[in-house]
Amino acid sequence: MSAATQDAVVAQIPDVRAARPWGLRRVGSGLRWFARRSPMSAFWGLIAAAIVVIALAAPAIAPYDPLKSDFRAMTKPPSERHYFGSDQIGRDILSRVIHGSRASLTVAIGAVVLGTTLGALWGLACGYFGGRFDIISQRIIEFLQSFPDLILAMAIAMALGAGMGTVIVAIAITRISFGGRVIRAVVLSLKEMPYVEAARGLGASHLQIMAQHILPQCIAPYLILATAHLGVAIIIEASLGFLGVGIPPPTPTWGNMLADSLNAGLVPPWWLVLFPGAAITITVLAFNLLGDGIRDALDPRLRGAV
Amino acid sequence: MYSYIVRRLAFGALAVIGVSVVVFVVLRVLPGDPLVAIFGTEGFTKLSDAERARMMADLGLSDPLPVQYFHWVQDIVRGNLGHSFFRAESVAEMVARRGPLTAEIALISVVLSWLVGIPVAVISALRPNSISDNVARFLSILFLAVPGFWFGMLIVLGLLFMFGYRAPLANVPLFVDPWANLQIVIGPAVVLGLGQAAYIARLARSSLLEVIREDYIRTARAKGLNRRLVVAVHALPNALLPVITLSGILLGFVLAGSIPVERAFGTPGLGYAMAIAVSERDVFVMQNLVFLYAVVFVLLNMVVDLISAWLDPRIRYA
Repeated sequence: MSAATQDAVVAQIPDVRAARPWGLRRVGSGLRWFARRSPMSAFWGLIAAAIVVIALAAPAIAPYDPLKSDFRAMTKPPSERHYFGSDQIGRDILSRVIHGSRASLTVAIGAVVLGTTLGALWGLACGYFGGRFDIISQRIIEFLQSFPDLILAMAIAMALGAGMGTVIVAIAITRISFGGRVIRAVVLSLKEMPYVEAARGLGASHLQIMAQHILPQCIAPYLILATAHLGVAIIIEASLGFLGVGIPPPTPTWGNMLADSLNAGLVPPWWLVLFPGAAITITVLAFNLLGDGIRDALDPRLRGAV
Repeated sequence: MYSYIVRRLAFGALAVIGVSVVVFVVLRVLPGDPLVAIFGTEGFTKLSDAERARMMADLGLSDPLPVQYFHWVQDIVRGNLGHSFFRAESVAEMVARRGPLTAEIALISVVLSWLVGIPVAVISALRPNSISDNVARFLSILFLAVPGFWFGMLIVLGLLFMFGYRAPLANVPLFVDPWANLQIVIGPAVVLGLGQAAYIARLARSSLLEVIREDYIRTARAKGLNRRLVVAVHALPNALLPVITLSGILLGFVLAGSIPVERAFGTPGLGYAMAIAVSERDVFVMQNLVFLYAVVFVLLNMVVDLISAWLDPRIRYA
């Protein structure tokens, strides 16, 4: 094919990007399509969005300072003044639950993005290069998978010492193997595609092929993986807080609040237990159902894989 | 089959070695100064240099890391799991005394998860998108989102408020007083069992729906067998193969989940001991318990793989 005919052929291909520009309009129509397709997921997606807004605007929404003790209202049941009651040292439970969403979401999003990204890049390299690098990497990933998530996260969080950063790293490490496995499988099938072969024939470098031809195809599985794991990450974060190796007190997190309630005497008052746990459940439910919807919309073949 | 068993055993042995390296790196190399991990920053600064050096030498912490790793493996092979910094009891004694309780919890919860999960999946798959299917699916999605330890705390509170009842807090072996023992383990087992049942119902449902579309199911229906018989005898056994594998993975989930759940119930099992060890930052106990849990997890997965290979020739000839 001469250069002239090649240009002529290229000129005939309609420019998809010009026809459907990225913009608010397209995002809006995409959202409408998603809502029609799976109204249930869209509803829970709205709740997830509301939780994110609550976390962002926590100081404005919360009726009290979550750290401030009111010694006239110690361990008081829900009332007009404190809708969710108050804890042993008179802190408002509602305000603490609202502020708790910040720690929970920051850790969950941070850990999932960090872990899935590292895993995905690793899986990309494994799938693309194969050979000895792949074999050794697969063994290491299998060793990481030989630990139940929570136990590995607990050990790492304890070893690194308390803090938000260490909790994020601890949970992220438990997510690496998932990203690695799924993206590697995707890349293995993509690698054999004729267009990848064509790119190689045209003299593209490995880096170019990976970045331009393989990486874009990994975006959908990556998004699906990341949203599917948000719920698990939130539960692990709460468990770490409950076991005393999460974000250290007095920062209000839902796990810390449940751990505190066990110190409130032999019988913990019900409002100290009910509200933080309900917050965890609703948040995880919302992110899980949103994740299911995103998976079904983007790539139903990944059902069961992530 | 034999070559499969040999391959799987060799892989299991490799996994145990890999796991020991990961545990060693996480708990002995990452913390930096182990004395800081043991005494906390404040306690550490109160020690004099001579004291620090003596403690490091006593604990074998001044040796090079590979030597430390070798000593640790040697101790484990000899059955010496070390002892806690805060208690007289050795880790081996602790495992022997508390382990059975956690094993009981794990076993009962797995049985429960099958007893609840499979019937729910069958009801769902027989009438997809019916009301019962939708209720079952919502419940399984809900139980995936409920943290086990919170559910446990709610059960403890509920029983206390309604019946003034609280499970015994002292460790009672099964053969001494089976009734008291059952009261201790049943709470955590139910919580963990329902958590697993949610996963099992979800997977078994989709697996059943796939199998029901197979040709041999149509053949069985065409020759006049009734629907229930076809599902129970022809479809279910094949649909359960992936569920067996999942159950093995979920056992790991139970081992880990029992740590906060036992803490919530106050169950005197191994999980509670681990919750205490982690909150006290008892590095040596954690190192051995984490290794023990991971080895149990690897062995369980090996057993599950061998069972599925025995049930399904496609796996062992792959």
